[in-house]
Amino acid sequence: MVGRPYDCLANPLGAVRFTFEKAVSSGSDPASFDRNDWGVADLFREFLFDKDGLRQVPMLTPSTAKWVQPNSLVRFRGMIQDMLGNEFYVGAYKIKDTWNTNKFADASQFPMGPSPDMRVWERRLLYCVPVPGQNSWADATSDGVVNTYATLASREKRQRDACFVSDEVEMQDSNNEIPDSPSAKKMREGGSLPPENLTEDTDCGMIMMPDFDRNNFPCLVKIYDTPESDLKLNDVFEFIGVLTFDTDVKNDKNGESELENCFDQEELLNLPPSKVPRLHCLVHRKLSPNDLIVRSPTMESKPHLMKELRQSILHHLTVVLGDDDLAANVVLLHLLSKVHVRVDSIAVGKLSLNLTGFDKSSISVFGNRINDTVKNLLPFSQCIPLTVEFLNAASLAPVKDYQTNRLVPGVLQCAEGSHFTIDETQLQSGTLNSNGVENTWLLKDLMEFQKVEYDFKYYKMKMDADVQILILSEGKSNILPADIVIPFHPSSVGPTRIVDEQTLNAWRWYLATVRSLPHSIGADMQKVVEDDMVAARQVDRSLGTEDFNRWLTMGRLMGVSFGETSLSHEHWQMVKEMERLRKERLK
Amino acid sequence: MDVNFSQDKDLAIDFLQNFADAKGEAKYMSILQDVANRKIKAIQIDIEDLFDYKDLDEEFVGRVTENTRRYVEIFADAIDELIPEPTEVLQDDDHDVLMTQRAEEGNENADGTDPRQRMPPEIKRLYEVYIRASSRGQPFTIREVRASNIGQLVKISGIVTRCSDVKPLMKVAVYTCEECGFEIYQEVTARVFMPLFKCPSKRCNVNRAQGNLILQLRASKFLKFQEAKLQELAEHVPKGHIPRTMTVHFRGELTRKVSPGDVVELSGIFLPIPYTGFRAMRAGLVADTYLEAMSISHFKKKYEEYELKGDEEEQIARLSEDGDIYNKLARSLAPEIFGHEDIKKALLLLLVGAPHRKLKDGMKIRGDLHICLMGDPGVAKSQLLKHIINVAPRGVYTTGKGSSGVGLTAAVQKDPVTNEMVLEGGALVLADMGICAIDEFDKMDESDRTAIHEVMEQQTVSIAKAGITTSLNARTAVLAAANPAWGRYDLRRTPAENINLPPALLSRFDLLWLILDKADMDNDLEMARHVVYVHQNRESPALGFSPLEASVLRAYISAARKLSPSVPRELEEYIATAYSSIRQEEAKSNSPHSYTTVRTLLSILRISAALARLRFSETVGQSDVDEALRLMQMSKFSLYSDDRQRSGLDAISDIYSILRDEAARSNKMDVSYSQALNRISRMGYTEAQLKECLEEYAALNVWQIHPNTFDIRFIDA
Repeated sequence: MVGRPYDCLANPLGAVRFTFEKAVSSGSDPASFDRNDWGVADLFREFLFDKDGLRQVPMLTPSTAKWVQPNSLVRFRGMIQDMLGNEFYVGAYKIKDTWNTNKFADASQFPMGPSPDMRVWERRLLYCVPVPGQNSWADATSDGVVNTYATLASREKRQRDACFVSDEVEMQDSNNEIPDSPSAKKMREGGSLPPENLTEDTDCGMIMMPDFDRNNFPCLVKIYDTPESDLKLNDVFEFIGVLTFDTDVKNDKNGESELENCFDQEELLNLPPSKVPRLHCLVHRKLSPNDLIVRSPTMESKPHLMKELRQSILHHLTVVLGDDDLAANVVLLHLLSKVHVRVDSIAVGKLSLNLTGFDKSSISVFGNRINDTVKNLLPFSQCIPLTVEFLNAASLAPVKDYQTNRLVPGVLQCAEGSHFTIDETQLQSGTLNSNGVENTWLLKDLMEFQKVEYDFKYYKMKMDADVQILILSEGKSNILPADIVIPFHPSSVGPTRIVDEQTLNAWRWYLATVRSLPHSIGADMQKVVEDDMVAARQVDRSLGTEDFNRWLTMGRLMGVSFGETSLSHEHWQMVKEMERLRKERLK
Repeated sequence: MDVNFSQDKDLAIDFLQNFADAKGEAKYMSILQDVANRKIKAIQIDIEDLFDYKDLDEEFVGRVTENTRRYVEIFADAIDELIPEPTEVLQDDDHDVLMTQRAEEGNENADGTDPRQRMPPEIKRLYEVYIRASSRGQPFTIREVRASNIGQLVKISGIVTRCSDVKPLMKVAVYTCEECGFEIYQEVTARVFMPLFKCPSKRCNVNRAQGNLILQLRASKFLKFQEAKLQELAEHVPKGHIPRTMTVHFRGELTRKVSPGDVVELSGIFLPIPYTGFRAMRAGLVADTYLEAMSISHFKKKYEEYELKGDEEEQIARLSEDGDIYNKLARSLAPEIFGHEDIKKALLLLLVGAPHRKLKDGMKIRGDLHICLMGDPGVAKSQLLKHIINVAPRGVYTTGKGSSGVGLTAAVQKDPVTNEMVLEGGALVLADMGICAIDEFDKMDESDRTAIHEVMEQQTVSIAKAGITTSLNARTAVLAAANPAWGRYDLRRTPAENINLPPALLSRFDLLWLILDKADMDNDLEMARHVVYVHQNRESPALGFSPLEASVLRAYISAARKLSPSVPRELEEYIATAYSSIRQEEAKSNSPHSYTTVRTLLSILRISAALARLRFSETVGQSDVDEALRLMQMSKFSLYSDDRQRSGLDAISDIYSILRDEAARSNKMDVSYSQALNRISRMGYTEAQLKECLEEYAALNVWQIHPNTFDIRFIDA
C-alpha cells in the first residue's frame, strides 16, 4: 500500500491523471480513449471492493454535503429520475507536447486555447433523486440525521412540483430585471468553490433552502464509458465518483448577454449547481433490496430457517391484522409478489390485493397498523389516500416539460419493487375532472399491466413498473380492480408487540431473498394444475385467464415463501384451499 | 489540414457544370439559371448526385460529408463564378439599386487594403446553398449521433417538439462611417457578434478622426433564422430510457417548414456552438451542439406514398413467390391471439382493400372494406383492433363514445383566440386514406351513428352547421367492434336481437363476424396449458411459425395496394350465378336472417379484388371469387351456425318472444299471468315451461314477476 502517488479518497482525479499518463506513455493513442477506459475503473474497483475502501467513502447526503470536499471521492445512492442526454467535452488535449485529460472533471487543469490537438468526447447526464418513498431503515443517508419524512407522498410531490415552478418563475423574473443575466450554460463549466459558499448563494433571486432537505436532494451524475443499457430509468444505483460543485454563477452575472429565446440547455436552469451537486461517476453498482439491509450472520437460506422466519412473520401479520389468519396469509403472498417476466401484455407474477370491509373506525386502527408494518418490512413504500380532490389535483404520471426540457416526476414514477397502499375508504362521491379521469386510468393500467404511461406530450410512452399495490376499501374497489379481493374479518384488536430491530432485519432479509428465488413447475404438477383449471372452468364459466394466472402466481409465491423452488402438491392444495375460503367470504 | 480548397473548388465547378441527371440534362446549370432569373433561392446539392457523377472522386465526396460546412462555402464560391446572366427581364428592386450604387462608388471605396472595406461575396448572393444527405440508408436516431460526427453531414429522424419564432439573423453587417462616408462590411458567422465602433478606413486612420460607425440595417444582409427542438421518436427509444432531444437551426428558405408535432427526417451538419467573448476563453470544456439543417422531409403516412426501403423490395418479391402468402400474412396479424384464422384473413383483406372505382357518370364506388366484429367480452376484440391500427400506416383507434367533443365525424368549433368558427375533423376524417377502428360501436352516439351511414358508403362527412356547409373526405375502411345487446351473446335469441344495430348500418359492412366464448373442454385445456406454459417458461408458447414483422407486412400491403385488378369478362357470369344462388337460398328459407342485396354483390367483388391484389395479379381469378364467397359464408356461419339453427328458438326463448310481442301489441309494459298463459297455450306450450321462462328472464332483469299473482312487468330497457 505504500508508494501510491495519489490518494484515491481525497484526490481521485490524481489517480485518473496518473493512469492516463501511464497509458499514454505506454504508447496508447489518446484519440482511442473515447468511450474507452484506460484502467481507471479497474483501479477504483480494486480500491473499493478488494481493498475494502468502500467503507471509507463518505455517503453524499444533505448532512454530509456540508463538509465533503469537492473533488474528493463520494458515493450517492438514488434512483435515476431523468436522463438529460449527453454532453460533449474536451476529453484530451495537448499542451506543449503532453496530453492531458479532462475526464471525470468539470474544469480543465490547465488553461487551454483552441488547438487542433483536442479530442471531443461525450458523457451522459443522469438526474438522480433519493428513491421516492424510501423508508428510514433502508435509508443509508439517515444516519444521525433527524428524519422528517412525511408519509403523505402525494403532498411531497406536489410541493416538489411547486418548487420546480417557482424556480422557473424566479429565473424568468431575474432575466427580465437584468437583461444581461446569463444563461445557465456556464454553470456547467468552471471550477469549484469551497462548500461554505453553498448556503449563501442567493444572488440569483432563488429561494434557497437553508439546508438540503431529505426529499429534495438530487444529484447530477455524469456517466462515462458505460453502455446505455446498463442504466435504466427508475433503477436504484450507488454511484461512486468525484464530487464537484461547479459554481460559476457569480462570474456569469458579469458575463456577456445571451441571445434570448435560445433554448439550448435550459434544463440546467432548474439545476443550479448550488443545489444539485455533480458527481463524475467512476464506479456504479445496482442496488438490490438486500444491499439496504444490515446483514447479520443468521441470514442463510437454510430450509428450516426459512420456515421459521415464515412462521414468525406470518404470526406477526396475523396479530397486526386482528387475528385474521386468511388475510395474513394473503398479505404475505402479496408482499412477496414481483413481476418476473412480461409475456405479451401480461405481467406475470404481480399480485395486487384489495382488502375490503373497512369502515371509518377500523381503517384508523388497522390502516395505520398495516402501513407501519409495510414500512418496516419493505424498503420503498408510499401511501396514497384516494380522494376525489387528490385524483383531480395530483400528477400521477411523469410529464415531460418542454419548457425546461425536464421530466417532471409523478407519484407513479417509482423504483422497482415499491409498495403502494391506496386507502380508498376516504373516497367520497364527487365529480372527476379530466385530470382525475386520466389518473384513474393510470392507476388501473398500473394494476392491470404494471405499466405507467409517461406523457411526452407528442406521444406517450409506456414504461414498465413493478409495484405492489394494496387497496384498503369498504366494498370491492371498482376503480382499482385488484388481482385478489378479500373481505377483511378482524376478530380482535390485540396490541402489536414491539419487534426488535434484529428480527425486523431478518424479516426484511427473508422477504427480499425469497422474492427473488427461482421457481418452476414439474411436469406432473403441470398436469395436475391444468386438470384443476379445466375442471374449475367447467363448473364456473366466469373464470378466465386472469384467474388462472392468479392461481399460478399464488402457487409460486406459496412455494417460495417456504424457500422452495418448485411447486409441490401440498402448496397447490394450500392455494386452492385459500381460494375456497376466500370465495366463501365473498358470498 | 493539407486539403487544397481551391482545387476542390475547381472540382465543384466541374461538377456543377457537367453533372447530367438521368435524363441527360444539366441539372445544376438549369437550377442556376432559375436562380439568376430569381425564381428560386435555394440550391440543393444532393450528395447522391456527387456519387452518381461521371468523374466521381470518392475522396472529394468524403471530404464534403466530413467537413460539410466548409464545402457549403466552396460550392457557393463556385456558384458565384458560374451564375449565368438572367434570361428574363427583371424588375430592379432595392437590392439591385444598392448594388449598382456600390458598383459606381466601387473605386472610391477602395482606399485601403482593410478587408472590412471589401465587399464580401456573401452580400451579393441571392441564393442559399444546401448540401443534402443521400436518401439511401437509414437515418440516425438522435442517440446515435456521436462526438465523432461533429462537423459531418448526418441524417436524423425525430419529432419536432418546440419551434422558436422566425427571426432575422445578421449575415453581413454594413456600416457607414460618419467621417469618411465609406461603407464598412463585417461578416457574421456566429449568432452573436461584436459590432464595430471605430472606422478602420485608411482615411480615418490617417486623419485620426476615429469616425463613428453607423449600422445600416437596410444595407445589411439578414437571413431568416429559426431554432427548433427535435426529439427521438418513441419507437427509437430503448426500453427504460427517455427520449433524447437535439437543437436544430433552420436558416433562410428552410424556416417555417416545421411545426411542433411534425415527424421529420432532416439532413444537416452536426456542429458545436461556437463560443464568443468571455466564454471562448473557457470554452475548452463543454460544447453545446446543434444541427444546422440542410434539408427537411416530412414523413408521409399513406400507403400510396410509402417508400420501400432497400431490401424490402427484394423481400416482398421473395414472399410473393411463396404460395402460402395469404395464410402467412394473415397469421402474422396479432400472432399472440390464438386462432381466429378466418377473422385474421378478413382483417388482412381490410388492410389491403380494393381499388376505388369512379364510373363515367361520376358515381364513386368505394374500395375500402368494412368489417364488424361482434362478440362476448374478453375475446380479444380490442387487441385485434389495436394491432390492426399498428400495422396500418395510417390508423385511428377510437371508441364509439368518442373521447373528444369532435367525435367521430367532424364538428364546428369556435376558436378560443379568434372567435372564428373552425371545422375540426373527427376520427373518421383523420383516418382518411387509412383505417378507422371503432371500439364499442354499439355504444355510439345517435348523431354519430347517422353520420356514419354516409361515411361508410359515400366516404365523405358533410357538415352544415353555423354557416359552414362543406363535405370532408373520409375515405376510410371502418373496422368496428361491438358487444352484443345484453353484454353476452344470448344463443336463444335471434342474431338481429343480439346485434342491436339497425339493418341499414349492418348492410354496409362487407363482413360481420361473431366471436363467441364457447364452453368447450378443448378450448379450456388450451387456455390452461397456455397459462401454465407462460408461468413455467416465462414466454409465450412457440407459435409453430415465425410471424412476419409489422414493417414487412406494411411494405407488402403497400406494394399490393398499388395494383388495381379488374374482373375478366368470363368471370362475370360466374359471379352473377353465385350471387343469384345466394338470393335464391334466402328466398327459400322461411326465416331470412340476412339481407342479400346489391351491396352483397359489391362486397364479393371487393373482397375478390383485395385477394387478387395480394397475389400481385392484375386480374381477379376464380379462386379469388371462391375464397371471397367462402369468407362471406364463414362470416354468416359464425352468426347462424348450424347447431344453433337446429336448436333454433327453444321453448323458453319462444315464450319470451311471444310475451314480448303481446306486450308490444297492447302497448303496455305489463302482461297479466292469465293473459300470458292463454297466449302460450295457444302456441302449444305448457305452464311449466312458462314458469321456467318467467324465472329465467326475471334473473336477467328483463322483467319483474309479481310474487303472488305472477303478473309480468317488463323493465324498460
